[in-house]
Amino acid sequence: MSVENCKPATVPGSRPGAPDGPDRAARIASLMTAAADGSEEALGQIVTELTPLLWQVARAAGLTPADAEDVLQTVWLRLLSHLDGIRSPSSLTAWLVITTKREAWRVRGTGRRNVPADQDWLAALPDQGPGSEDQVIVDDQRRALWAAIGRLDQRCQELLRIIAFVPRPDYAAVAAKLGMRPGSVGPTRGRCLAKLRALLAGGPEGSLA
Amino acid sequence: MTPPDAGDWPPADGPLDEADLEILAGIRDLFQAADPMPDDLPERIRFSLALRDLEIEVARLAAEEDQQLLAVRGPEQSRTITFDSDSLTIMIRIDQNRDGTARVDGWLAPPQCREIELKTTGGALDAASDSQGRFAFASVPQGTAQLIVRPAEQGAGGSGRSVVTPALIL
Repeated sequence: MSVENCKPATVPGSRPGAPDGPDRAARIASLMTAAADGSEEALGQIVTELTPLLWQVARAAGLTPADAEDVLQTVWLRLLSHLDGIRSPSSLTAWLVITTKREAWRVRGTGRRNVPADQDWLAALPDQGPGSEDQVIVDDQRRALWAAIGRLDQRCQELLRIIAFVPRPDYAAVAAKLGMRPGSVGPTRGRCLAKLRALLAGGPEGSLA
Repeated sequence: MTPPDAGDWPPADGPLDEADLEILAGIRDLFQAADPMPDDLPERIRFSLALRDLEIEVARLAAEEDQQLLAVRGPEQSRTITFDSDSLTIMIRIDQNRDGTARVDGWLAPPQCREIELKTTGGALDAASDSQGRFAFASVPQGTAQLIVRPAEQGAGGSGRSVVTPALIL
């Protein structure tokens, strides 16, 4: 089998937030260099890779879908003038996440459109499609997870929603930007995930409020 | 504030373990299903990033108003959109033409003569603002479009950068 030109256009496991090996960092780094040199294609691939994460960041900040779309465009446009100064894939992800949060605050601050006071996404558990026997177990787990997330405070809901979409190697950089204390050896679980695990394990509700 | 005693539950300052990663994957799947990104969003962003140069001034959407005109003139729609950047305010009014195209009337503040491009999926349209800051595109195909206000002449006190809006759906 020829390995010529076998650099995959889409890397296996490049699902948003999917854990990715060191390959990803190298691939994103070379895309960043090419993008800073003016390659629209390279920049486009970065957009495709990271926009699903930024969508969740904008929606978790309480933006309507229309506002989220506008804010994400602003964020990516702003990146153009910053590409030169961003050195690593982790700092790129962190810059994009924090800039999306700031732009979202800005929009909420101006109140230029109606922003729902409550998070609407928690209204219903998303459909899962036709169920099999295995599906019932999975479904129970999903239901339990959904319910537990709903019992966290808003800040934790927002944080976990964001972190869940962050590529694993970028986790520490993003967590630090979001105000989570990094551990001495690596990313820690953090208050929100610890709380969620206690809830899932049937922890005493009262003490977790 | 000290958190209440969590008993045997994993501590907040412990390192991430497999169970944590599994939970995060579960959260990701749930939100992907509950609130997925619109499929065409990356494409719209890629469209807006296809620019001649990277040193730009971003104009943010500042206000948008839809006016469903009263039935007197049929179901005509007019939208007014304002964008703000560090150096410019751009206001545009979009009206639907009878032939299905759109008319875009715009004003720059402070008023000034600039070259203005309206980038569409079918190519770029060019116009220029007059000394009052007014400009117009009489016939714009429906679809995605983005305004680019070209830099002022050198020495005119301009920033030397294009002012760029997000892509809109006309």
